[in-house]
Amino acid sequence: MSETENNYNKLGSVLIQKEAIASIARQSTLQSYGVVGLAPKNLIESIHQLLKKDAKYGVEVNFDHEGLLIDLYIMVEYGTRIISITNSIVNSVKYNVEKTIGLPVHRINVHVRGLRISNMD
Amino acid sequence: MSVVELTKLSPQERHKLVSLPVNGQGLKTLMEAGMIWLKTNQQLVNNLNVFPVPDGDTGTNMVLTMQAAFDEIENSGDENIGQLSHAIARGALMGARGNSGVILSQIWRGFARALDDQPTMDVKLLAEALLEAKETAYKGVVRPVEGTILTVIKDIAAQAKVSAQRTTIFTEVLADIVEAAEASVERTPDLLPILKKAGVVDSGGKGLFCIFEGMWRFINGDALDKAVTEVMPLSEMKLEDTMESVEPGQDYEVVIDFSPESTFNLENYYDELSKIGTSIQVGEGDGIYRMHIHVPLDKRYLPIDHTMTQGTIQKVMMENLVAQMEGKKSDKHPKINLAQVKADETAVVAVSPGPGLSRIFASLGVAAIVQGGQTMNPSIKEVLASFENLPTDKVIILPNNKNIIMAAKEAASMTVKKVHVIPTISIPQGISAMFRFIPDAGLEENTESMIEAIDEVETGEITTATRSVEIDNIQVQKGQVIALYNGKLVTSTDNIDTATEELLIAAKTCDYERITLFYGEDMKLTHVNALADKIRSIYPDHEIEVHEGGQPHYQLIIAIE
Repeated sequence: MSETENNYNKLGSVLIQKEAIASIARQSTLQSYGVVGLAPKNLIESIHQLLKKDAKYGVEVNFDHEGLLIDLYIMVEYGTRIISITNSIVNSVKYNVEKTIGLPVHRINVHVRGLRISNMD
Repeated sequence: MSVVELTKLSPQERHKLVSLPVNGQGLKTLMEAGMIWLKTNQQLVNNLNVFPVPDGDTGTNMVLTMQAAFDEIENSGDENIGQLSHAIARGALMGARGNSGVILSQIWRGFARALDDQPTMDVKLLAEALLEAKETAYKGVVRPVEGTILTVIKDIAAQAKVSAQRTTIFTEVLADIVEAAEASVERTPDLLPILKKAGVVDSGGKGLFCIFEGMWRFINGDALDKAVTEVMPLSEMKLEDTMESVEPGQDYEVVIDFSPESTFNLENYYDELSKIGTSIQVGEGDGIYRMHIHVPLDKRYLPIDHTMTQGTIQKVMMENLVAQMEGKKSDKHPKINLAQVKADETAVVAVSPGPGLSRIFASLGVAAIVQGGQTMNPSIKEVLASFENLPTDKVIILPNNKNIIMAAKEAASMTVKKVHVIPTISIPQGISAMFRFIPDAGLEENTESMIEAIDEVETGEITTATRSVEIDNIQVQKGQVIALYNGKLVTSTDNIDTATEELLIAAKTCDYERITLFYGEDMKLTHVNALADKIRSIYPDHEIEVHEGGQPHYQLIIAIE
């Protein structure tokens, strides 16, 4: 099952959908300072987003043998130090996902898709 | 003027510096005072962290951000407050570190925007600038979390607006701001449940408060370089450490939880306690206070009597320390004597999984040890903390594990010190590198020869498989003993001796001269000695050494050289 992750228990197994992981990553990203929004991964997603709200919007979840691979597509506020912001995102997403899901996060890639300019200095 | 010079000023002169309207140099002075006071309280703020994330040192991050902001204006003689505040904002932006640092940089950015083109600042303008600071800070996030530094700047801005209508005196407004900030910080646990659970206030908010409080303390003529004796948050009380320092005669440890009366005076309470005993700590959290003290046998009830006069006791714990210490002594390891480095020498930091190995590293001249290994990787913070306080700026790190190299490199990139990471992936490599270390040789020279030394030793490890697996055609059942040669699985058997023998064969031990065994915490010395005898009979020409390693999970770590 490519959409799920397994987690064995004496009585059965726990399956977690990628969507669930994506929404945790998404929440955590949006609460991070400096992030003003998520961005579509590609054209198809941007069209898709017009038609239907999607928990995976701006977030991509995959996994390999070492753990979860999370890609985040974000918009950042102009006039902030992007490297600090992205570092914080990586840390808080890793922390929240690992804490709530219990699966190791192997990699988090943050794609800064653009800047929002609220004020020019 | 430097801080030292500034603190020599009389209160009147200080007031004059920030008398209205405040110009660029006045702001610069205030910024410096805020930064120094924040630096003084850096550890206090760091200790408030609730998330165990690697970049989580809020205090350090905010200090570095303030430092970057101040560096930008340090040599500026600009009288124009608009220009100067833009320089502050630029410095803060470029040097913003961590979440709270970024928010702080946004605060200064908004502050600067409001003062744009203004030569000086009066209280009305200060209120406007703080409002703009708050607006800008909130713009940076889609879902602002309340109970953080954001809430504190919001409350500060609101108070400044009210105060600016009441008075035109700058210092009065500043006093109001500091008071509002303090109250706001105290409220953060009510807004953010995770803080309440941890029994702390928000670290970023506390940091921001420290900056404003520093400005206020400066004007008032209070010291900026010495932290005030304060009640620490409960989570900060390190009661386990107090066991280390049991004074003769102080046989009992008493811990009392109590809720103080409204007339409670901390200093008097402390004074009274210090007459009774030693190792006094008072912590606060969730509305209760916790007191800790060591007292002699005949005075063991006095702290209770005394506390009863100060509030309502909720819980009392009393333990006989002597009994505890004796129980502890038997398994306690002798103290590790780390090398003392001088200012121009190179210091080495080694990551070590066990007390025995730590002692070996210390005897070879390591200046700091970070606890950690395969199953417990130290955080970047821990690595950073290990060398930040060493009196030298030349540091070499021996991670001694593949998984720790990254953290070590991250730590190296986060400091102003010159730090080189020797990519040692095992304990034997670390020890081998350490043999090459010369304290007064330069950093580069040491690094070069230590890297060379890595390849001169082969590493063997004996451990127990935690799961069943098949690697390189070797079947392993959970619970079996496995041998790893330079990290690669070579065999799985049912006993340690066979695993070790097969490992030595795989490592082509015949081509080497010396075998050193570091035994782990689960291994008995008699067992290791018997094993060493066995190895000696197989390799009669080799030198065999046995050392206590004390590492968990790995019964043996073997160096072959």
